[in-house]
Amino acid sequence: MISFASFPVQPEHTRHFPDDEDAMDLDDGDFEAGGSKITWPGETITSSHAYMRGHGTYVEDEQVVASVAGTVERVNKLVTVRAIRTKYNPEVGDLVVGRITEVQPRRWKVDANSRQDAVLMLSSVNLPGGVQRRKLESDELQMRNFFEEGDLLVAEVQAFFSDGAMSLHTRSLKYGKLRNGQLVTIPPLLVRRLKSHFLTLPCGVDLILGLNGYIWVSKHVKESEQEGEEGFDAEAVYSNRNDFIDDSTRTAISRVANIIQVLASHFVPLTDTLLLEAYEWTVENDTDARGLLSEDVGDALVATITARA
Amino acid sequence: MASISTSKAEISYIQSGLLSNPPLRADGRGLHDFRIISLETGVAPLANGSAHLNIGKNPHDGGGGTEVLAAAKLEVENVDLGGGEGVDGGRIVCTVSCSPSAYPHLSAPALDDLQHDMSTLLHQTLAHPSLHPPNLGILAGKKSWLLNLDCVVLADAGNAHDALFMAARAALWDCKVPRTRAVEYKAAAAPGAQAVESGEMDVDHDAEAQQSGFDTRSIARAVDFELPDYWDEGEVLGGRERWPVCVTLNVPPGSKGPLVHYLDAIPQEEAATPLRLLLVFSFPPASSPNLQAIRVLGSGELESDQIRDFVANGEKHARKIWDALNGKLKEEDHRRGQKARDRFARR
Repeated sequence: MISFASFPVQPEHTRHFPDDEDAMDLDDGDFEAGGSKITWPGETITSSHAYMRGHGTYVEDEQVVASVAGTVERVNKLVTVRAIRTKYNPEVGDLVVGRITEVQPRRWKVDANSRQDAVLMLSSVNLPGGVQRRKLESDELQMRNFFEEGDLLVAEVQAFFSDGAMSLHTRSLKYGKLRNGQLVTIPPLLVRRLKSHFLTLPCGVDLILGLNGYIWVSKHVKESEQEGEEGFDAEAVYSNRNDFIDDSTRTAISRVANIIQVLASHFVPLTDTLLLEAYEWTVENDTDARGLLSEDVGDALVATITARA
Repeated sequence: MASISTSKAEISYIQSGLLSNPPLRADGRGLHDFRIISLETGVAPLANGSAHLNIGKNPHDGGGGTEVLAAAKLEVENVDLGGGEGVDGGRIVCTVSCSPSAYPHLSAPALDDLQHDMSTLLHQTLAHPSLHPPNLGILAGKKSWLLNLDCVVLADAGNAHDALFMAARAALWDCKVPRTRAVEYKAAAAPGAQAVESGEMDVDHDAEAQQSGFDTRSIARAVDFELPDYWDEGEVLGGRERWPVCVTLNVPPGSKGPLVHYLDAIPQEEAATPLRLLLVFSFPPASSPNLQAIRVLGSGELESDQIRDFVANGEKHARKIWDALNGKLKEEDHRRGQKARDRFARR
C-alpha cells in the first residue's frame, strides 16, 4: 500500500504585521496578563530602557526582541522568553529515560535529550550482590555487563556537575535497564510533573514518562514478578532478553505509542487520565494503531479528549 | 549504514514482532505499507527540473520524515576540445550529499563514505546507457549537454534509498532541455555550392571563412548554437518514463521458510535488520520490466535461491510505487501547467 500526498500549500498572501510598532509593545499591565502569550522570533517585546533582556531575547534599536518562539516570562525587570521547542532542562529529582552513548572508566555517558550528555557513575548503580557495598575492581572490568552502548535505562537526576552536566543514579529497584517495549520521543515540555511517572494502563501496558521527553512503553510486569529487593538478581536486572510478549500486548503497545505521537503532534501535554481516555476512545471507535497515523483520526481523537478534559 | 544506537532489547522486540504471526510493526503498519509520501516538483527555480520528497511526515505538524531534495541542472560542454570530459550525445552525473543534521551520530569521514556510496549507486544506475535520454546532444562532435543531478538528503527517518530514487525520478521527469538551433558560417564565395544541412539552421555569410575547393570531406559545419526562444522552457527529456524506482526489501533475521520481508523501514527497524536488498526497477511502456540495479546492504546472508523470489516480490512492490508515483507526477504537471494558467487568467 502506497499513497502520495502534497505538501501543504503556502498561503498566497502573507500576513502583514501591523505597522504601528507601539501596538506590539507590552506595557506593565500586559506583562501580568500576557502569561500565555506566544512570541515569534523577531517580535518586539518591550523597551530596553525599562527592562533587562534575559534568555531568548536580544536588544535591537533600544527594544527587547524575542529570538525564539515561546512564552514571555518576567522576573522583576528581567524579561525572558522560554522556548517551546527546547532541550530538556534537568532538575534534581527528575525521572529521566536515557540511552548509554559511551562507557568510560567508572562511569557511563548517557544521552538524556539534554544539552550535554548525562553521567551515570558506577557508584550510583545497583551492583550484583544486592547489599550496598563498595565497588570493586571486578565491577569496573565488567561495566559492559551492566550497561553497554545503546542500552536504555530509567534513572533519577541526582546532582549536577560544575559544568552543568547532570549526574544520574539508579539506586532503586524501580530504576534500571529497560526492555519489553519501545521508545517514543516527544518534546520535553509536554511531559508534566506527575505524582508518579510510572503508569500502568489497564490494557496491560506500562508507561514510564521521562521528564526529558523520552517515554518508554512496555509490557506490564506484575508487582510480584518484579525483580525483588531481597534476592537482587543482577542477571535479571541487567538482562538484554525480552520476556514473551503476546500479540494483543504488542498491539496495545503500538496503539499507546501512536496515541502519544498523535497527542504530541497536536501539542497536548500528557497526563495519565488523558492517555487512558484516549486509549478508551480508540477502543470504542475500533481504531487500530495504523488508523491513528492518518490525520483525520488523529484530529478526531484530540478534539474528543481535549473537549472532555 | 546509518545505525542509530539501539539497545539489544529493542532490536529483539522489533525482530520478534516482525516474525510473529500476524506480523506486527512498532507503528502498527502492515509489512508492505509505506508511510505517507509527499511530493512536489518544480521547487528550485534555477534548476531545469527539481523535486522535493518526504516520506513519513507527521500529518498534523509536518515534522519528521525522510526528506530529499533533487535538482537537475543542464550545462553546455565541449565534446572534444583539450581533453574535455564531454561525450557526444551528452552525459549524466549524479551526486548525493547528506546533510550532517540528518546523520548527527556520524563523524565527518563516515558521512563522506555514506554520501559516496549513495552517489555511486545513483550514478551507476541512472547514467547507464540503457536509460540515456536521446536529446542531450547539441552539435555532433562539438557540444553536448551535461546533466547534473544533485540530491540532498536533508533528514533521514529511514528508507533513504527509496526516497532518493523517487526524488531523482521526479526531478528528471520534470527536467526540460532548452531547444537549440545550430549556427553555421558559410563561405560567401561559393553560393549554392554547399547544401544547407538542415532547414532550420541559421546561415551567416562570412567572407573570412574561405574554404579550399579541394576539401571534399563532409565536415559538420555547424560551429555554434543558439536558443531560438529564450523564454521557452524547452522539451522534456526523451524517454523520461523510463527512469527507474527503487524498492528496499528489508529481510529480518531468521526468516527461513516463507520469505518475510517488509518495506519502508524506520531507523530503528533498519538497525534491527541485518539484510536489506535494494532493487531498482524500470517499467518501460510496451516492454517487459527491467531490473536496473541490485544492491545488498548489511551483514546478513542471502541464499541464491531466495534471490529469485525476492526479485519477483520486489517487482510487484516496485510496480505499485511506479504507478502511484506516475499518478502523482501527472497530478503535479497538471497543477503547475493547467491550474497555474487558470489562476493566472483569473487575475
